[in-house]
Amino acid sequence: MQLQHLGTPLTLFLLLLFFGITFVITLSIGKKRENADNYMTAGNQVGFGISAASMTATWIWASSLYASATSGYTYGVSGPIHYGLWGALMILFIYPFGKRIRSLAPHAHTLAEILHARHGRSSQLILAGSNILGSLLSLASNFIAGGALIAMLSPLSFSTGILIIASGVLLYTLWSGLRASILTDFIQVCAMLGAVIIIVPAVFLAAGGTTIFETGAVNLTPEQQDFFSSEAFFNQGAPYIAAVLAYAIGNQTIAQRLFAVREDKIKPTFITATVGYGATVIGVGMLGVLALYLGIEPMNGDPNNLVPQLAASYLNVGLLCVFFIMIIGSMASTADSDLSALSSIMMTDVYGRNIAEPGKADPKLMLLIGRVTMIAATGAAIYIASNRLNILELLVLVGAIWGALVFPVIASFYWSRVSNAAFTISVLAALAVFFPVRFGWIELTGTIAVISDFLAVIGVGVIAGLMAFGFFGRRVGLLVGVIAAGITLPSGMGFLHTYPVLTASLLAYSVSSILCTAISLGSQTKFDFDTIRAETGRFDRAPQHS
Amino acid sequence: MSSNLLSIYVLIWPVLVAGVLIVLVRAFLSEVRAARKNGRPMI
Repeated sequence: MQLQHLGTPLTLFLLLLFFGITFVITLSIGKKRENADNYMTAGNQVGFGISAASMTATWIWASSLYASATSGYTYGVSGPIHYGLWGALMILFIYPFGKRIRSLAPHAHTLAEILHARHGRSSQLILAGSNILGSLLSLASNFIAGGALIAMLSPLSFSTGILIIASGVLLYTLWSGLRASILTDFIQVCAMLGAVIIIVPAVFLAAGGTTIFETGAVNLTPEQQDFFSSEAFFNQGAPYIAAVLAYAIGNQTIAQRLFAVREDKIKPTFITATVGYGATVIGVGMLGVLALYLGIEPMNGDPNNLVPQLAASYLNVGLLCVFFIMIIGSMASTADSDLSALSSIMMTDVYGRNIAEPGKADPKLMLLIGRVTMIAATGAAIYIASNRLNILELLVLVGAIWGALVFPVIASFYWSRVSNAAFTISVLAALAVFFPVRFGWIELTGTIAVISDFLAVIGVGVIAGLMAFGFFGRRVGLLVGVIAAGITLPSGMGFLHTYPVLTASLLAYSVSSILCTAISLGSQTKFDFDTIRAETGRFDRAPQHS
Repeated sequence: MSSNLLSIYVLIWPVLVAGVLIVLVRAFLSEVRAARKNGRPMI
């Protein structure tokens, strides 16, 4: 089938239009109110509409749209659900923890900053380091997605594409940090959601409508036609459930919006973002299902080409422009959030809480550090993107590494006996177990397989227990955890180690949880949570606008 | 699943997205109005 292309002038016009409008919007943010705290948290008073749009836009990124379609293409009708639904529910599950974190530290800038107040430097730097790695890879991934899209739909090269995208995002984010990121997210989310509303039905109708399912059923295996496919669950859904709770805890972009939104609007913001993310990502994933029914082979054998390929095959030039803006919007909204997150970490966790003397951080120097960080991060991400590493695989790896942090981080915000030693030892030990299993350095056979399966079953209990704990408290959390582990035990023993990616993530959860709990139970220290509020205060001394 | 049910399954998501978009736009506009009324910036 003939692929539709956008010419160079039209591509450049669309990019200029998109980034031009975005930049003009950021100019409306008053420079006279600029200070370090606003640059990082937008004054903690952002309303529901902008916050929910920003949370949705940040969570949806170009790779998630592509990956959902890939899941639909690979696993059939249930594939997009196993990508999008779990990702969406994780926004919801993180809400009660977010509320607790915000109540402990209403004026904090980063999660790692709160850990500094709670435990000290080593815990803070472990979390900040993992945040930096994750945001940098996410940034590079978005540049790759943008560059690849431009290279596929226009005569411009991949390298030219990433340079244009990187420059465009940097231009407006540099201006006002998180405030620019949040304000532009609203426009970008409107473009993204609007495009999904038009493009999914347009491709469906152009490809033949209902007849697709009558003529194309022969292209699917029975497993791909099954809405309750176990293959889809174990290969896509289950590892994703394990990874995404960790993403929400370890990802500074979500934490930053948690600190920006008005405290009484946290709940509606998270609920709306849950529905918005789920519907959008699953909706685009349906394009992968359609491609499977239509018997389309992905270009160059790369499933990431499926979505642009379908768009270029079935949409006219006008709708292809809408599609182009949707992907650029999803890419830009996450990239600007990553830049903003990276600058906040360097401003707060590196300079504000470690280099500057306590209470003497210079807000003007912080702003300079934030802007220099954005420029350096963009350069580093362009370099990584140019080498075309398998970023998605690296990101999944970072997500799994964050799994080692989930229990110690959450426990630190609720349990006064968790110490810096308990946090640091449990995280490092979990990582020491995770890496050999994840990369197959040790063979999961015999006794090792039995121990691994048993610990993985505990990992299942930890994840289920944490989800229930957030909403219903300690007793229900413990009960749900024990029941989930009990249900998994008979089927999991002798079975889970055959899925090493899933097992490695579950081991990270279980080892960190067991050690953190054991060390904390032996500790006599009792932390006073009220001290966090004072130690995570503002850097600017001027009164805040509220 | 029948062809009609599969069609509904594919097309229900853009409908949900439209619902979310309406909620977001209405909330945004009401925040713009409130900000103008009080003489305060949006962010």
